[in-house]
Amino acid sequence: MKNTTFSKVEHAFALLIKNRMLVVLAVLIATVVMAYLASFVEVKTVFSDLLPKNHPYVEVNQKFKSTFGGSNMVSIMVEVEDGDIFKKEVLEKVQKLTVGLQQVDAVDTYQIVSIASKKTKEVRASTEGVESRPIMWPRLPADDKEMAILREAVLNNPLIYGPYVSIDLKATLITADFLDTEINYSKAFDQIMGLIKEAEGDGVLVRVVGEPVLYGWVNFYLDETIQIFFAAIASLVLILLLITRTVHGTIIPLIAAIISACWALGAAKLMGFHLDPLVIVVAFLITAQAISNSVQLISRFDDEIAHGTAKASDAAVASAKHLFKPSLLAIVADAGCVLVVALTPIPMLEKISYIGTVWIFAIFIGALIMTPVLLSWFNPRKNADGSYSHRFVHPINIRPVLMVILNLASSIVVTKARFVVLGVALAVFAVSFWYSFNLKVGDANPGSPILWPDSQYNTDAADINRQFQGSDRMFVVVAGKEKGSLREPEVLQSMANFQRYMEAQPEVGGSISLADILPQVRRVLREGNPMYGELGNDAGENGELTYMFVSGSDPGDMDRYADSDALNGAVTLFFRDHQGETIRTAVARVQDYVKQNPIENAEYLLAGGLVGVLAAVNEVILAGQIEAIALALLVLVVCCTVTFHSMVAGVFFMIPVMLSNTITFSYMAYNEIGMNINTLPVVALGIGLGVDYTFYIVDGIREELHLHDNVEKAILNCLTSQGRGVLLTALTLITSVGLWSFSSLRLQADMGLLIALWLFISAFSALFIMPAIVYVFRPTFVVGSKERPIERAEGSAVVV
Amino acid sequence: MQQARDSGGGVQKILSIITQLLPIIIIGGLLYAGFFVKAEAVITKVEPKPIERRDNFFSIITPTEQIAWAAGTAGKIVRSDDGGKTWLRQPTPTLVNLQGIAAWDAQTAVAAGNEGTILHTNDGGASWKLANTPKSENPNKLFRVRVFGDTAWAVGEFSGLYKSTDKGANWTRLLPEDDRALNAIYFVGQSGWAVGEVGSIMRTEDGGETWTPVETENQSSLMAVTFRDATHGVAVGLTGTLLVTDDAGVTWRVVPGLTREHLLDVIWDENNWIAVGDKGVKVTSNADATEWTAGRLAEGDVAWRTQIVRAGSKYFVAGANLGILEDGKITVVGR
Repeated sequence: MKNTTFSKVEHAFALLIKNRMLVVLAVLIATVVMAYLASFVEVKTVFSDLLPKNHPYVEVNQKFKSTFGGSNMVSIMVEVEDGDIFKKEVLEKVQKLTVGLQQVDAVDTYQIVSIASKKTKEVRASTEGVESRPIMWPRLPADDKEMAILREAVLNNPLIYGPYVSIDLKATLITADFLDTEINYSKAFDQIMGLIKEAEGDGVLVRVVGEPVLYGWVNFYLDETIQIFFAAIASLVLILLLITRTVHGTIIPLIAAIISACWALGAAKLMGFHLDPLVIVVAFLITAQAISNSVQLISRFDDEIAHGTAKASDAAVASAKHLFKPSLLAIVADAGCVLVVALTPIPMLEKISYIGTVWIFAIFIGALIMTPVLLSWFNPRKNADGSYSHRFVHPINIRPVLMVILNLASSIVVTKARFVVLGVALAVFAVSFWYSFNLKVGDANPGSPILWPDSQYNTDAADINRQFQGSDRMFVVVAGKEKGSLREPEVLQSMANFQRYMEAQPEVGGSISLADILPQVRRVLREGNPMYGELGNDAGENGELTYMFVSGSDPGDMDRYADSDALNGAVTLFFRDHQGETIRTAVARVQDYVKQNPIENAEYLLAGGLVGVLAAVNEVILAGQIEAIALALLVLVVCCTVTFHSMVAGVFFMIPVMLSNTITFSYMAYNEIGMNINTLPVVALGIGLGVDYTFYIVDGIREELHLHDNVEKAILNCLTSQGRGVLLTALTLITSVGLWSFSSLRLQADMGLLIALWLFISAFSALFIMPAIVYVFRPTFVVGSKERPIERAEGSAVVV
Repeated sequence: MQQARDSGGGVQKILSIITQLLPIIIIGGLLYAGFFVKAEAVITKVEPKPIERRDNFFSIITPTEQIAWAAGTAGKIVRSDDGGKTWLRQPTPTLVNLQGIAAWDAQTAVAAGNEGTILHTNDGGASWKLANTPKSENPNKLFRVRVFGDTAWAVGEFSGLYKSTDKGANWTRLLPEDDRALNAIYFVGQSGWAVGEVGSIMRTEDGGETWTPVETENQSSLMAVTFRDATHGVAVGLTGTLLVTDDAGVTWRVVPGLTREHLLDVIWDENNWIAVGDKGVKVTSNADATEWTAGRLAEGDVAWRTQIVRAGSKYFVAGANLGILEDGKITVVGR
């Protein structure tokens, strides 16, 4: 750095330290205010935040969800251990659950369907013609004879037998839809679980899945998540204490973390944002970043003291002066990378991005400013030999272990081993780059990737999907050109063919539409002759069939198939899972079908329901992931180019980032962690994170070269001084991040591991790969050139 | 700096050119990728199975013990050459429901269905061609197609009775239209019987040239008719209707109240009469058609069946699904 900039920073920090009481007081007051605000930040899942803005699928979902069933559907399966469901005590439970669901908060009372609901009907011939009546409403079968009739009615109705009663008659399904705008996931979850607990027992098993239940589980584990968060912070402190052995080395990083967290969360409240429980791990990542920055400064401070600086304030100023540039660069680059996430038009990601950016800038205050200011209080004591040091709080010294690693790093740079390291790094990069293309967008596993495969939710999901057609739904709207379009044989036949086409995909367990109902009615009308189980011959006949089905039922009962004007209808597809691959294939097949089979009177609109919404989310992320990664890298390149006045610098710093990216992507692909709404922010943050350590090392080498022009010596000195800071933070963070693997939420465990991997690769490349690259290639922005030699520094304490 | 020079001047030069160009290329590439490159998802191709969940098969025929041909929903024809173990879908030029299929041998067959559609093949079904059929203003829905000798017969709505003498390529209508549907037809030599709506029965003695109505007390629609020789026959129909004749169909006796379920097909399997129908029902009798018993085709089976055929020791059933009945156990194809 130029001496003039150096002295500006020096003056600024000298001034800050001179007025340190004032500074501390000001920051303290601001922090208290922000902490107060932060205490009001809600931790909750808001469904609308997950929906991409202006996406056509989402618009279709929003427009039609109230009639065709939205994305917040809960499926409850009542299963008997022995025999079948046609027993009074079992059906009683089904009825009780069906009625009980109506009392649950935010439930759409018109969208509760089970064999015990009024909506589930059979069409039968009677003396007056054809009537449709509920099969088991309002009362249960009174005796064996009525039970036998019910059983026959179920077996004969393909709209019930299969979709709502399992083929082996051992299970029946109850589905309920919730209102997106009103739902409080933890409240609904508690009430549903209460109902289920009551129903379970006496040889009856009850399983439940659906987004409200999933988010309910996430909220259920919120306490645990927060415990792990604090346990991780506590372990951080302990490890810091173990390694640094000093009071200031332990407490100050913690203060840095607390200040930045308070500011960020307070700002979140001011911006009117809430926190999603699933992104708490991102919060931890940024906190780790704050601690990392602070530890670097303290490490340098300790070096200054060790090299004979007697006054804490002098050492603090020196530390701040030397690390200001790489620290600031790290912060700006990180913030830039996180801000890029906001380009993905999903409200949740935008909010995370804004909170994250503010949080990272808060590190500037919490770590960059406050750490030197606070350090100025920690004067060292004079030892007998005239050197200065701080009092150690415990006798365990692991410094020699760190030195072993750093010496290894040094010996690699100066021996031919550097070529081996570079070669291996290149090979690893090439292989992981190739393998990273296996990374999937969307969920990569059946069930929910948020929870462990053996979690109750996922085993319930597996059980339900084994017995039924699939609990995840997508509706495709068939929008008629005019009223009555949905009675046209052409349109109905197209719907039936469409369903057949879609069901060829193995993950599509079934589908239902008006085109399934009318043949049932027609068959009944034709003396029950199955050879007449077909659509009507013309619009008039189809209109009559619809009328027969609707007659005697409530207005709106028909709505989930088509509106009363026969203008808009829906084909509902049932999916056995919502993996990214499944959804993409289904959407592509819908488009294929529509392209190959155009119809005049109607058009097919994608797509509503959970799978429809997820399709939109996945499309946005798929389209945005390259953009996000490329722009984050660009931000990084620009930051480095500007800082070091060199385009080469920009490219140079991409090396560790690319390496950690390809390796983590490969890891994700290998472990089947999909790129989704929950993992994308971590990935983007990782891009910024992957380079920080290298900033410190390269800047350290440059600083050394201000003192002399021996590149080898500069690298070695830097590795033992700055390198120790890097190693210290990396070790601390990696160890504490490990605690996340105990989370009951698989997502958080996965992300914890991912972050640990990221930190490890960045630290490894900063210590082993990048010094070797500097040594071999001698980039001029580090070592200087004849035209632009490195400026000689004024005296510094650290002279080896 | 000494070492820098040692590492070679030429290499240094090339490196410096690369290092000057590389940043520009990379930054340009990133900009391009950021704004123009959109990831494309790779979509796996889905091949529909020969027999899909949504399929109903209304008719099935077994020209040999090993070969079975079934026709059903949405113009689907499937064929098995290994006694029903594996099935292959055969391409057809129609999407209408096919209600009947019949075959002369493993190569030659006809299928009939809605909208007067009749298909015929003479290459084992590798290609199914549309036949010439006379059509009128009514929906022209055809139910069954049967083969007796060289002649093929098809029956359908509005007294639809059609005949082909060229292996199914060209068809002629034999009766004037009236509102009564014909559901089934059977021939033994020159004697023939056709049954249909509201219990109607017709018989012919001259190979179908002239038809005489037969009066019975039954009013329920008859769905199938079969004779084990020129004099002994059984007709079945809706709500368990069962008629028996011992005089070549001149008079019919009603077998009362075995079941309320629809009976949709009846066969003579050389030992017994077997009728199948709605909700897995099966009605059987000895050759005399005197001792009838009702039961289920197989334990727990409730699917509706529109046809049953025998192939050696096995029976094939068509209907809500395609089933193979062997030793009282039913295997549903594709489940």
